[in-house]
Amino acid sequence: MDRRTFVFGATLGTLNLGSTRLRWSQPDPPRKSLKIDVRAPEMPLSPLGMPGLFPGRVVEVVHPGAIVRRRVSQPAVRVMLEAGMKALTGETLAENAWRRLFTADDVVAIKVNPSGVPQTTTSIPLVREVVQALNGVGVPNKHIIVYDRNSNQLEVNGYHALLPAGVRVVGLDQRWAVGGETRGGYDPAVFCEMDCFGELETRSYLASVVSTEATKIVNLPCLKEHNASGVTGCLKNLAYGSFNNVARTHVDPKTYTDPVIAVMCSAAPVRSKAVLNIMDGIRAVYHSGPFAWNPDFVWEPQTLLLGTDPVAVDRIELEIVEQKRREVGAPSVWDRNPDHLGTSADMQQSFMKSPFYREPGHIKTASALGLGTWELDKIDRRVVRIA
Amino acid sequence: MSGDHTDRDWVTLLGGNERRGGTSATRRSAPKDLVWKVGLPDSVRSSPVLRDGSLFVTCRDGCVYAIDSRTGKIRWKFQAGAAIDSTPSISGNLVFFGCDDGALYAVDHTAGRLQWSAAGEGAIWTTPIVRDDSVYAGSTDGTFKAVDRSSGRTRWQRQMQGRICSTAYASAELVYFGCTDGQVYALDSASGKDRWAFRAGDSVIASPAVVDGMVLVGSEDFFFYALDAASGAVRWKFETDLGIASSAAVADGRVFFGGKDGFVYARAVTDGREIWKSKSLRTITATPVAGGSMTCIQGFYGSTQAYDSNTGEELWRANLGGSLQSTPIVTDEALYLATYPGVLYALR
Repeated sequence: MDRRTFVFGATLGTLNLGSTRLRWSQPDPPRKSLKIDVRAPEMPLSPLGMPGLFPGRVVEVVHPGAIVRRRVSQPAVRVMLEAGMKALTGETLAENAWRRLFTADDVVAIKVNPSGVPQTTTSIPLVREVVQALNGVGVPNKHIIVYDRNSNQLEVNGYHALLPAGVRVVGLDQRWAVGGETRGGYDPAVFCEMDCFGELETRSYLASVVSTEATKIVNLPCLKEHNASGVTGCLKNLAYGSFNNVARTHVDPKTYTDPVIAVMCSAAPVRSKAVLNIMDGIRAVYHSGPFAWNPDFVWEPQTLLLGTDPVAVDRIELEIVEQKRREVGAPSVWDRNPDHLGTSADMQQSFMKSPFYREPGHIKTASALGLGTWELDKIDRRVVRIA
Repeated sequence: MSGDHTDRDWVTLLGGNERRGGTSATRRSAPKDLVWKVGLPDSVRSSPVLRDGSLFVTCRDGCVYAIDSRTGKIRWKFQAGAAIDSTPSISGNLVFFGCDDGALYAVDHTAGRLQWSAAGEGAIWTTPIVRDDSVYAGSTDGTFKAVDRSSGRTRWQRQMQGRICSTAYASAELVYFGCTDGQVYALDSASGKDRWAFRAGDSVIASPAVVDGMVLVGSEDFFFYALDAASGAVRWKFETDLGIASSAAVADGRVFFGGKDGFVYARAVTDGREIWKSKSLRTITATPVAGGSMTCIQGFYGSTQAYDSNTGEELWRANLGGSLQSTPIVTDEALYLATYPGVLYALR
């Protein structure tokens, strides 16, 4: 069992990783120190584990026909995914690109983002295409698990009904049958323990799909601003969708999404198994995410971001969200002006307001933990435009 | 049709095989009192049904419960082989439901004793529909079958190229259902042979209603269709702003359904013209119930809304919290609601 303790220091402004201490800038306003204990199984770091086979590489595929008459186009998504995988891996055949990361023996968990119904979730056409690509390398549907914390959100988005027969759709808040036995959603042996705001339950347990069932994870986040963590991208989708009891990390206006998201992603099963990230930016959210009840804050980049390095993909996402916010006159997600704090209702009405001091610093923290590349000048950003 | 129940009963999805989702109840005022509530051990994804003072509700814990509708007391429960997502049907003395273990079950409605089970491969989320001596149900592995009502013996079986999450409508000669292969099928109810198939632009997971010679059903392709029941030809269609998972309820020449775009729609059965459209509830996947005076639907984010069936005026809303996707039962005595977290309410 891997037991590690992380201390985010309030006074020292440091991040202690076991015996490692990294200099760190203190957020403003300052927060109390946070100690995070991680209990996870020992796993050798796979070459496919974060940052994966292609550290620092991000492929941005843009297709002007990804949305046709308000509908996400299945054929367009297929073209985008194939082009993106080939550009990411350098392979000339999409099937070979997938074979770089997956084998027929894998049990593949697909982490979708179903929050933000109805239009700003991982689109069904994208999930269908990923399933088909996995089938292409020999992974049968019965070895593909689509999962998220919230079964009701999965259901209302139609993942249960609209994905190919045989694919298992698992809400971690439910129980389900595997090989004649009933399993629950979380593994009591794998957890992160911390006390953020004096909450009674200080443990967040990892999904058993991640800890025991899956051999690989395909991460399908959405391109969205997030009112607590700045953006909800690869890292947050994995961490807060695979561990439970995570809403406790943000209490208006403070948030510990940095460093909690990064530390959760560094837990061995998550880090080792998440080998591919495909961010759905066909529709995107630049404010009041992740739910985006106000459609005024949704735009249509018609983009997929692909990478094995979740930090690099999230860094590019952050650039895209910031660019959009600049275009419309919204303050940066790094904004610390107390006049811009407001209620959730305020946030839904105005892009000037947020209930939190957002903390997109979790991306840089993840980089400090070795999960990927933060520096823009070290990111190999490849843009593929589909005519 | 079943013909063995009274107006007070609510024996299958949307009340009766007529798929009216309607009731003789004239309830217009908001429920004010909690009569009882029962917490079940797991999530409820189905809708309750009502017969002879008992509510029958299926649960993800793998049980079907018979609950006294006056007191909330559990009269009996029957343990099936896996989680249950199928809304039950009642016909004669039997309660029918599908199960995630792939089987169709028939249990005695007074004591919950197993009468028969018919094994299958894929989880059954649809409601078994009883017509004459046959029970019809589709499965998530794409099989659709008719079994003998008394024995569960298979009469015929078809294999489709998608999941079947759409509860069938059985008329005298044909049985209609949608499929995630994007088609609406009409099969000969005696033989299972094709009569017609209509191809929509995307999956059809909503359940059809058949009225005035038309099959009424929505699709994930954003359209709501009225198809000729004999030929499958499009009589009229209407485009919403997102997919449609909500099944149609019909009452007094109008069809009611919800859209993932968040609106409740009321349109004329004959030509599809708009009667009214609600304000947005963000997203709706539940199926409405509709009477001559009131239409009631559950929103995903915990609200139950009631509208004047004629005007769309909001009559009341109740917010019970949690996710509400099942179809309520509306009677003169009470409003019965099941919630996703597994709480069953009787409100007056």
